[in-house]
Amino acid sequence: MPVVDLPHTRIHLQEMNKGAAETVLMVHGMFTNLSIWYFNIAPILAERYHVVLYDLKGHGMSGRSQHGYDLQSMSDELLALMEALQLTSVYLAGYSYGGLIALKTAIRHPEKIKKLAIIESPNPYEQETMNVVDVYSKELLVHFVNGQGDHSPAKMGKRQLERRHRLYEFLLKESSIRQDMQQERHFFSNGGIKDIPHETLLIYGKDSDCISAGLELQEKIKDARLLFVNGDHNIPVQEPFTIGNALKDFFDTQD
Amino acid sequence: MDQLTQPAKLSEAEILPVLKQFITEVIGEEFVEDLDITAASSFTKDLEMDSIEIVAFSEKVKNYFGKDIDFTGWLSNMDLDQIISLNLGDITKYIQSCL
Repeated sequence: MPVVDLPHTRIHLQEMNKGAAETVLMVHGMFTNLSIWYFNIAPILAERYHVVLYDLKGHGMSGRSQHGYDLQSMSDELLALMEALQLTSVYLAGYSYGGLIALKTAIRHPEKIKKLAIIESPNPYEQETMNVVDVYSKELLVHFVNGQGDHSPAKMGKRQLERRHRLYEFLLKESSIRQDMQQERHFFSNGGIKDIPHETLLIYGKDSDCISAGLELQEKIKDARLLFVNGDHNIPVQEPFTIGNALKDFFDTQD
Repeated sequence: MDQLTQPAKLSEAEILPVLKQFITEVIGEEFVEDLDITAASSFTKDLEMDSIEIVAFSEKVKNYFGKDIDFTGWLSNMDLDQIISLNLGDITKYIQSCL
């Protein structure tokens, strides 16, 4: 299992098309893992780019961490990973909370980002939406585990239920993830988003609860374009090929 | 297991034990003891593997069978629902056809 030891955590990552000249770095959301990109979206991008996927700390196969789920710390983790992989600048894509981490990184280190793609990131001020995202994320896991969602969680195997239960128990009860996410509620209003200079693609589901966040980001970011695709917050699973191709076209296009 | 030398032309019957070994490494021996892993076993329904475990399994397949097969490329043509309902027989057949 490929891992990188960062100052506070061991990070699991996957790379595709390692020899390519330019890199796409992809950040998943809370309560999911890098598999959201791995099967369909990343291979489309890997036709041309070096693609780096990683599990955020506390998620997937990365090490657990009780603290540091705020955007600054998560952005520090992303930057440390870039440094460890000797990536000076990347095309950066983030889904949901991973998109907020991408935005934070673009604000702090614009020189390290070539273009920015934000998929279904919520406005942290809208706690109701954040809770919905939470629920969606849980459903996403169920979806991953059970396929079409035509099996209820009760039909999940014992090992899988226990595994999932342990993840939620740890993140929601033993880590600071909830408080850390709540402390970011003013991120859209005072986080410097309007200063983001990058060409930015915003991708949202037509039926998503996060659409207003997409509209707000489009208004705040100078060079942003908003793309709607069929589906709700789960569009990476619902429309992976549409998203993969949209990202590839966006990164491919030169000004 | 990942570091074995390049596999020669293997039959489907020879590939299956290799895949079983990968599954054991991914989900742990204690869980595999309770499972009857056969060519008909599917990732999620029978083996109870989740998506990140399927990633780990895919990496082991790629590392072991190497450049002879484009396992990720093969999977990338399927949507996630198709991937998680794959059974080991499907994978064995694909690998065998590439060797």
